[in-house]
Amino acid sequence: MTPPPPPPASVAAMIRPMPAPADSRANRDILAVMGRPTIGYVALLALVVSTVGWALGTFVYQTYVGLGVAGYSHPIFWGVYIVTFVFWVGIAHAGTLISAILYLFRAKWRNAINRSAEAMTVFAVATAGLFPLIHLGRVFKFYWLLPYPNQRALWVNFKSPLLWDVFAISTYATISIVFFYVGLVPDLAIARDRATGWRKVLYSILALGWQGTTKQWKAHNRTVLHLSGLATPLVLSVHSVVSWDFASSIVPGWHATIFAPYFVAGAIFSGFAMVLTVMIPVRRIYGLERYITDYHFENMSRFILLTSLIVGYAYATEYFVAWYSGVEPERTAFWLRAFGSYWISTWIMISCNAFFPQVFWFKRARTHIPTVFVVSVLVNIGMWFERYVIIVGSLSREYNPAVWGQYTPSWVELSILAGSFAWFSMFFLIFLKLFPVIAINEVKELEIHERAHANGGAH
Amino acid sequence: MPEIDRREFLKLVGASAGAAAAAGCSEPVEKLIPYVIQPEEITPGIPVYYASTCQECPAGCGLLVKTREGRPIKLEGNPSHPINRGSLCARGQAAIGRTYHPDRYPGPQRRNQAGQLEPVSWDEAIRLLARKVQEAGPGTWLLSGEPGPTAGRWIDRWLTAVGAGGRVVHEPFAPEAVREATSAVFGVASEPLFDLSDTDLVLDFASDFLEIGPSPVEHGRQLAAARDVAAARGRTARLVSVGPRLSMTASNADEWVSARPGSEGLLALAVARAALDAGAGSPEARQALAGLLEHFAPERVAGQTGVDAATIVRLGRAAARARHAVALPPGVSVTARRAKASAAAVLLLNHLLGAVGRSVRIPPAPAEGRRRPSYRETLALVDAMKSSKVKLLLVADANPLYSLPVASGFAAALEKVPFVVSFASAADETSARAHLILPDHTPLESWGDAAPRLGVRSLLQPTVRPLHDTRAFVDTLLDVGRAMGSEVAAKLPPGSFRNLLEEAWADTDWRTALAGGGVFEGASPAPSLPLTPGATRLEVAEPLLEGDGEWVLLPVTSGLLYDGRGANLPWLQEVPDPVTKVAWQSWAEISHATAGRLGVELGDVLAVETPAGRLEVPAFPRGGIRDDVIGVPIGQGHTVGRYASDAEHGRPDAPRGVNVIQVLPAATDEAGGRAWLAARARVQKTGRFQRVAVVQTSQNQRKRRLGEAVSLAALAAGDAHAPAANGHGEAAAETHGDGHEHELLKPYDAAKDSAPDSPYRWGMAIDLDRCTSCNACVVACYVENNVPVVGETRTLQARQMSWLRLERWVGDGDLEGGRKLPIGAKEAPGAVDVRHTPQLCQHCGAAPCEPVCPVLATYHTPEGLNGMIYNRCVGTRYCSNNCPYKVRRFSYFDYSRENWPGLLSLMLNPDVTVRGQGVMEKCTFCVQRIAAARHTATLEGRTIRDGEVTTACAQACPTQAITFGNLKDEKSRVVQASHDPVRSYHALHELNTRPAITYLAKVKRGVFEEEA
Repeated sequence: MTPPPPPPASVAAMIRPMPAPADSRANRDILAVMGRPTIGYVALLALVVSTVGWALGTFVYQTYVGLGVAGYSHPIFWGVYIVTFVFWVGIAHAGTLISAILYLFRAKWRNAINRSAEAMTVFAVATAGLFPLIHLGRVFKFYWLLPYPNQRALWVNFKSPLLWDVFAISTYATISIVFFYVGLVPDLAIARDRATGWRKVLYSILALGWQGTTKQWKAHNRTVLHLSGLATPLVLSVHSVVSWDFASSIVPGWHATIFAPYFVAGAIFSGFAMVLTVMIPVRRIYGLERYITDYHFENMSRFILLTSLIVGYAYATEYFVAWYSGVEPERTAFWLRAFGSYWISTWIMISCNAFFPQVFWFKRARTHIPTVFVVSVLVNIGMWFERYVIIVGSLSREYNPAVWGQYTPSWVELSILAGSFAWFSMFFLIFLKLFPVIAINEVKELEIHERAHANGGAH
Repeated sequence: MPEIDRREFLKLVGASAGAAAAAGCSEPVEKLIPYVIQPEEITPGIPVYYASTCQECPAGCGLLVKTREGRPIKLEGNPSHPINRGSLCARGQAAIGRTYHPDRYPGPQRRNQAGQLEPVSWDEAIRLLARKVQEAGPGTWLLSGEPGPTAGRWIDRWLTAVGAGGRVVHEPFAPEAVREATSAVFGVASEPLFDLSDTDLVLDFASDFLEIGPSPVEHGRQLAAARDVAAARGRTARLVSVGPRLSMTASNADEWVSARPGSEGLLALAVARAALDAGAGSPEARQALAGLLEHFAPERVAGQTGVDAATIVRLGRAAARARHAVALPPGVSVTARRAKASAAAVLLLNHLLGAVGRSVRIPPAPAEGRRRPSYRETLALVDAMKSSKVKLLLVADANPLYSLPVASGFAAALEKVPFVVSFASAADETSARAHLILPDHTPLESWGDAAPRLGVRSLLQPTVRPLHDTRAFVDTLLDVGRAMGSEVAAKLPPGSFRNLLEEAWADTDWRTALAGGGVFEGASPAPSLPLTPGATRLEVAEPLLEGDGEWVLLPVTSGLLYDGRGANLPWLQEVPDPVTKVAWQSWAEISHATAGRLGVELGDVLAVETPAGRLEVPAFPRGGIRDDVIGVPIGQGHTVGRYASDAEHGRPDAPRGVNVIQVLPAATDEAGGRAWLAARARVQKTGRFQRVAVVQTSQNQRKRRLGEAVSLAALAAGDAHAPAANGHGEAAAETHGDGHEHELLKPYDAAKDSAPDSPYRWGMAIDLDRCTSCNACVVACYVENNVPVVGETRTLQARQMSWLRLERWVGDGDLEGGRKLPIGAKEAPGAVDVRHTPQLCQHCGAAPCEPVCPVLATYHTPEGLNGMIYNRCVGTRYCSNNCPYKVRRFSYFDYSRENWPGLLSLMLNPDVTVRGQGVMEKCTFCVQRIAAARHTATLEGRTIRDGEVTTACAQACPTQAITFGNLKDEKSRVVQASHDPVRSYHALHELNTRPAITYLAKVKRGVFEEEA
């Protein structure tokens, strides 16, 4: 007797409840991350929370005493805050790229990392969004940047790239949060079904009454598809707009048409690096090797290699154009970038972003997790310095040599910089304990898929 | 009296509401309280001006003191005063701060048993002093600065009446050597007056006449007039500056002759000899001098002066050829032991060149009995103090403990005086050691007069009721005399000093004189005087210097701090030195060769040792100083004073910088005058490092054409842009070849006017050929616009707040890639090419700062101003990032809280907002003045006339380098000035910012060439 042929896997995934052992293992493994926190976790959380507290206190001090407590000196009026802003906006790009663009391209390997990448996006935007406010001379007037009707008939200047920023960042924040949440709903239902106590209440509310019905899955999938479509242009636009903060000025070293693609590539570059930097330890600590495999890390390394080449090419182009333009202030600015007083920053940037990632040409490097981790950390450092070089380096060597400046960050800025990493980590640590770190439903879908393929192969 | 109209009322209401709002929730609400009985002459909101006289230096410039609601808020030059004609130098502008200074004594004080100062009533203090004078009798001596003629007369009478020993006038920078030399050469013991306005060659023998005197404002104006290229193209005067360093004056010269310090007399005679050989002088003069000049052949003198014979011959020939050449005698820093002979040599050169009686006028000696500053008498007094002959020392308007060398033994001598009385209005080193302090009014609270020179009688009148419990010096003396008993009182006049002053001016119409600032007669023709028989018997030789060090210690005079009296005025500290651009600090200028030999760079602390002492000061290597000279500026090193001492770093008793006077020997010249150039120094590296607060990062403009210059030849050819003409070479031709030049050079283009209905477009023309970098405009801007002074720490962080700064560029600059060039590397003897560029908001027609502001806090007004709304600013600072001129400032802190301590806040201009924390600020083209003029014009139903409104900087400028006005008025002076086909340019015009400021390139006159 021949058994009837199994229905196609995708259909099966949709029509049948899946009590198969593999599924419950995935549920168990992934939800285990959300279990009782270890001493190490609590200690780490305490550390980051106190760092955030310290930074918050510093910020209050800065607001009260004045921005003079930061290292600003004429004419360098943008420093660590804007550098860190651009840095975190860049980090925020990996999430959307992985969730939206790779979704649309049906790159299956994304499923294991998209949840954490999306979470990082949300947290990175939440971090980045603080900095334009922190850097304001009068932060208590920040709402004047918003075009709202008011008695004084004051309006904002739509010509200003800073205003474009306001819209770009707020749009991006909104879309990322929605995207993150929509993807989370089916998993929240799983969590709800297993949780007790306050968690049960929380997940019940957040799961929006998800039952896993066909109709709901259908709506869910369509929503994700549409959101992907909406988010895709944002990946390109947000960092383009951020780059126009610089490119639309007349500052030598900023005023360049290459800036938008250059910044977008850099953003994706740093975003992937940050995903690796965070997920390698998470995978190790929580034993998620079964879901996040070396294959995923290798693919991300490939992405880093690709974007590193683009970024390296952009560096070369900048220098070439500065030389080729024949404009003396432009030439001098770039010469001084590489050989002036900011040479250390510049060479950190070039080596970390353009040279070190070249090891990923070798499969052994791509699959050797310690190497991948070290390179990803270096890329993060390099990308922070890239923004430092562009912003501080350019501002310090402008048109008037009488007022060339020198900028050194103060302890206030460094505290708030540290606070930004703590702030991001704090959210991520809470996220680990509150939400499934891997999209369970998508992993399951993938597993079913693979099983079906495996079955099909046996035929 | 004008009524207060509705608009004005609303303005005041708005101002008070704004002040209350700015104060925020945490601060008490201030109320605007109306006058119960309104003084007749005061209308709230309308300034009242009083004529007075500046007391910051002996030049005696006329003031118009601007007062608002009874408070002086700004000092402006008196336009009808013959000395300064409406301009005022940096020191004069800063003098407003003396009245409101936090260091002022609140009232009389005496030192108690414990050595602490404690308040005492005036009656008690005067009784005490009367007793002391009675006891001391002829042991009573007065040491003071030079008082006005009336005060001086009554002080002398008082001294006689009370039977005091006498008085000594101590003016550290008094030109005693010149006076003595004039006496020796022309038989008249007076100081010659130099008039540069009609000269075509000025030979400046290290006189520093643009910095310290004898009359810097007047001479700056005259030099500018003589050099004016617009008036007579090609017939512009040249200035040749002799001196050991490229000082501010030399930076403005056409040629710098780097001579050994102290050898100016030798050089003057050698130049005279060369001029004689070239046929200069009247037959009588030639005959009189031939014998003397025989010994001063250029070849012989060359070795002693360090100037090669060819240069001397060239200068002599140029002097012989010139129509009206004049030579200026050596100034303070090169006054050596043979200063009288040096000055006499220069006077003889003037005699030979026929300048005496024309550009050099010898006024008659002042009437007998008028005491003049005398260093010899000062030293004699110190000797008397040492031998305990002085029982009671009265010190007024002088700070001898600071300004006399330690080697004179004044400090020790002061210890021996049992009772010292100081009349200082604010604390200084000497008053800090006094037993009794009877504070005088400040000049703005005082009556007084001045006779800076023949034909000029100038008045001082109070412009504010004394802010503290102070008394006029002469009144205090009279009261002391009266308290000494009826016998003494009978010898003294009744009434106050004000009555005495009025009596002294009885020959004039008092009210007219008071309103006009004094009585000014036209310059009387001074005859050409014959030489005295002994005139040519001169001991002109090299200076005698103490010590065996390798370097000559040159005490450098500062146009800002003067003899040190400026050090406690915060603006004079904050504004950088015009040459080195260092603020708040002391430095030692050495040549790059010296620096190389010592192995030091900028900021390495040097130990400078002379026989008289040792000091440690950071090195400032530069091109423009001789290899055998180390220059340390005079003026810093005070141990008393909120701004003068190191109080900023919590050490109010420690000096800020170093006082170079402390290491100078107490040397005198042949006639007993003070010799400043008297020591050689050993210089060593200490190994320590101090950050030097250099405000201007680089003086190399990298061919970016921020400060441009054209050669005289190009000017004559009328072609600024010929490649060879201005030294820009290929690059210039290329840039100008694009056909945009003329469009860009238009300061106003009707076709591109976005507000054609507005009657005004404000603009400015700045003539770099006139700018001497005297800093008058900078300080005027600080005072007019309530610009905060930030101090040394913040200056080191490049956080100066000046809206207007002077940039000093050495030549076109060069493109050495990123290589860091040493400061002033291109400064070398010969043709001088230093450009001084006043840099302020250019009020660009296409301003890069405007589109980037997200909240429209900076915008363009219909009158062409680049407006800045402080209240709207959120502080993104993008505007500054995008400003290519870098003239925007950011208020990092709430400066209103701490930067006008004590009563200093009373001098704030009520028409200008004190900016809050966290906003951008910048030059407004003095929009408050425009608003006031517009208000007047509107009331009179007309538009603002040309010249009716000007900015504080333009108003202060001694050389009239800045012209402000309406670019839409074709006949306005600013349009006339901007339309120079050769010299006008816009800074960084290639960025298409369309500035409202047109610069006029400096004219490079070059060295005199031998005639073909």
